[in-house]
Amino acid sequence: MRRTVPRGTLRKIIKKHKPHLRLAANTDLLVHLSFLLFLHRLAEEARTNAFENKSKIIKPEHTIAAAKVILKKSRG
Amino acid sequence: MDGRVGLRASRRAAPTPRVAVRSSPRQRARVREQEPVVSAMSGSGLGKENKAGSSTPLRHRPNAFSELDNATPRVMLVEWKCSKVELQLPDLVPEDASVTTFRMTRKRKKLSISEFERAADKRLPQNQAHSTLDSTLVRSLRMSVGSVMAPDTVEKRGLLRRPQNHKAIDIAAFEGGVEQNMLQIKAQDYLVDLQTSSMTGTTTIRTDAEVVLNNTELFVEPQLGEQNLLAVEPQLSDSKTSAQRSNTSYPAHEKARLEGLVSRVSTDERRTLRFSEKDLITDHEHVDGITQKTPAKEGEDEQDHSQQNDPMEQFSESEEMAGTTEHHADAEYSEHSEKKLSRKAVSQLTAAQDAGVEMEMTPSEGGVAEGTEHQDSPKAELQMAGSPGGHSPASYSLKKSGAKPLKEAVEQTGEIERGTITGVLDAAEEEATDDESDIEDHESEEISMKTPMFVHAAAYRPHPVLSPPHPVKSASPELPPQPVRAKPVPKSSGAAQRKTREPEIASSLIKQIFSHYVKTPVTRDAYKIVEKCSERYFKQISSDLEAYSQHAGRKTVEMADVELLMRRQGLVTDKMPLHVLVERHLPLEYRKLLIPIAVSGNKVIPCK
Repeated sequence: MRRTVPRGTLRKIIKKHKPHLRLAANTDLLVHLSFLLFLHRLAEEARTNAFENKSKIIKPEHTIAAAKVILKKSRG
Repeated sequence: MDGRVGLRASRRAAPTPRVAVRSSPRQRARVREQEPVVSAMSGSGLGKENKAGSSTPLRHRPNAFSELDNATPRVMLVEWKCSKVELQLPDLVPEDASVTTFRMTRKRKKLSISEFERAADKRLPQNQAHSTLDSTLVRSLRMSVGSVMAPDTVEKRGLLRRPQNHKAIDIAAFEGGVEQNMLQIKAQDYLVDLQTSSMTGTTTIRTDAEVVLNNTELFVEPQLGEQNLLAVEPQLSDSKTSAQRSNTSYPAHEKARLEGLVSRVSTDERRTLRFSEKDLITDHEHVDGITQKTPAKEGEDEQDHSQQNDPMEQFSESEEMAGTTEHHADAEYSEHSEKKLSRKAVSQLTAAQDAGVEMEMTPSEGGVAEGTEHQDSPKAELQMAGSPGGHSPASYSLKKSGAKPLKEAVEQTGEIERGTITGVLDAAEEEATDDESDIEDHESEEISMKTPMFVHAAAYRPHPVLSPPHPVKSASPELPPQPVRAKPVPKSSGAAQRKTREPEIASSLIKQIFSHYVKTPVTRDAYKIVEKCSERYFKQISSDLEAYSQHAGRKTVEMADVELLMRRQGLVTDKMPLHVLVERHLPLEYRKLLIPIAVSGNKVIPCK
C-alpha cells in the first residue's frame, strides 16, 4: 500500500537547500524516483552487510557502512 | 489353584461379562479396580446364598465367583479357600497400587461390606457348615477391607482441612510491628551510611580515582572521616537548625565549630557532589595537603576550606536535595567541632574575611554570568539571611574587592556563608588579618576558581532544559511569560513557527520504503540513520541539479537534468533506460505523467 509521493515536501526540501533554483513540471517525480533507487541500493548494501555479520537484523552499524558507500556512489 | 478357578470360569462361560473377567489374580486385580474386592467376596457369598436358595441384594453386584454358583458347597468352599489365600496376597499388593481408584468404589465397598455382613449374618444361621468359612471370610474380608480402609481413612484425613484458627488480628500490635520495621529500616540505612562513611574516612582518599570510585551515587551523603560515627542525630538537629537559620543567637563557638567542620566536611562533601570535577578534587586534595602540613597554618587552611566549602556547600545545597546533604553536613560539622575547638578562635577571626576574599575570588574567575548564577543558587540562603548581611559588606570593605559585579556575588556568597558562620562575622571584622587573607587568596584562588566552574555547569544545566519547550508552543498564552524571558519571542512567531518547521520527508514513508526494499527486520536506530542519509542525499542532489542547470544556462531544473543526474549515479545506463525505471518503481498515475503514451487519434499524452 504505497502512498502518494510527497511532491510538496520534495519541493520544499530542494527549496530549503537551494532557494534560487526552480523546478520544472514533473521533475520532482524523477527526483523521487532517484530517491527511491537510492534507498533501494542502500537497503541492498545494508542487507549484504548484515548477512556478512551473520545477523538477520539490520543494525545501525550495517547501515552506516552501507551509507558511506552508496552516498559516494550517488554523487553526480 | 488359580488355574482351577480359571478353568471353572471359562467352563462356566457365564453370561455376565464380569465372570469372564475373573480368571487369574491379575485379572482379579483388574476387576478389583473396577469392582470392589468385597463384591467379589460378596459374590462368593452370594453364590453360597444362591446355593442356599436365598436371594440377596448382592446378586446384582458383580462378583467374580458367580461361576461358583453351580458348584457344590464343599468344592466351592475348598476352592474358595485356596483362591482366597491367593486373593489375599494379590489383594494386598494391588490394593496398594490401586489406592487411588478405591475412591470411586468407596461407597460401593462400604455398602458391600455392610451388606456383606448382613448377608453373612443371614448366611450364618443358614449354613452352619460354613460358619468357619464365613468367619474366615469375614476375617479375610476384614483384613482386605481393613487394608483398604486404611488408605481411605488416610485419604480422608488428607482431605480434611485442619481446623482453622481464626485469630482476630491485633491492629495495635500490627501497627507497632510496622513502625518497628520502619525504624529498623531507617536505623539500618543510617548505620550503613555511617559505616560506609566511617570506612571511607579510615581509608584516606588521596587519589582522584579513589574518590571517583568511592562515590558512585548521585546524591551521596557527605562522607566523613572517622569522627562521623557516633551520636550524630542529636547534634544533627542542632546543627541543622543553626546552619539553616543563621541566627545571630548562635553562640560564637558554635560557629567556630561549624567552620572547622566545614573545612573538613566540605572537602569530603565536594567529592561526593556529582558536579564536582576532577580539578576540584585535585584542588581539594591540594588543600587537604596544605592542612596537613603545619599546625600553624592549619587555621588558615581550614578557613580556606571553609571559604571554599561554604559557597560550595551553599551551591550544593541549593542545587541538590538540601535535606539529606545538609543534614549530614551538619552532622559532620558537629563532629568536627569537637576536634577543632582549639583552632576555632583563629578560624573565626579569619573566617569571615576569608569568606569575603573567596567570594571575590569565585566571581573573579567566573565573571558576571557566574555571579548571576551565584545569585540564583544562594537566593534561598539570601532570604534566610538576616542581620549578618550587614557584616559581610563591612568585611568586604576591609578587603580590596575587585570588579563591582564581583561585589554583588561576594555579597551573595557572603550571605551564603553567613548561613554557616554567623556570630563569627562580628569578631572576624574586627581583626582584619589581611596578611592571612592575602596568603589565602593565593591558595584559595585556584580552589575558588573551580567552584564557579562547577557551579556554572550546575547552574546552567537546568536552563537549557527550560528554553527548548518554549519555541515549540504556539499558543497565545505565551504572551505573559514572554516579556519575562530574556529572549524576546514575538507573539506571531508562536503561530508562524509551526509553519516554518523544516521540511522533511515523512519518516514513516522512509521506513515503509526501506523495509520494503530490505525485506528483513530493521532496528529503530537504523531507521534514524537512513533518515539522516536521505537528508544528506537530498542536499547532494540539489547541489548537483543546480550545477547541471547552470551548465545548461538555465535557472530551472528540467527533466534532462535529472536524467543526467541518474545517469551519472549509475542508475540509468545504456542497458537500462529511464522509462524502464519509471515503469518499475513509480505508480501508474505518475508513469502516465512521465512517459508519453500514444493513444488513438494521433494523440500523445502528455502532449510534448
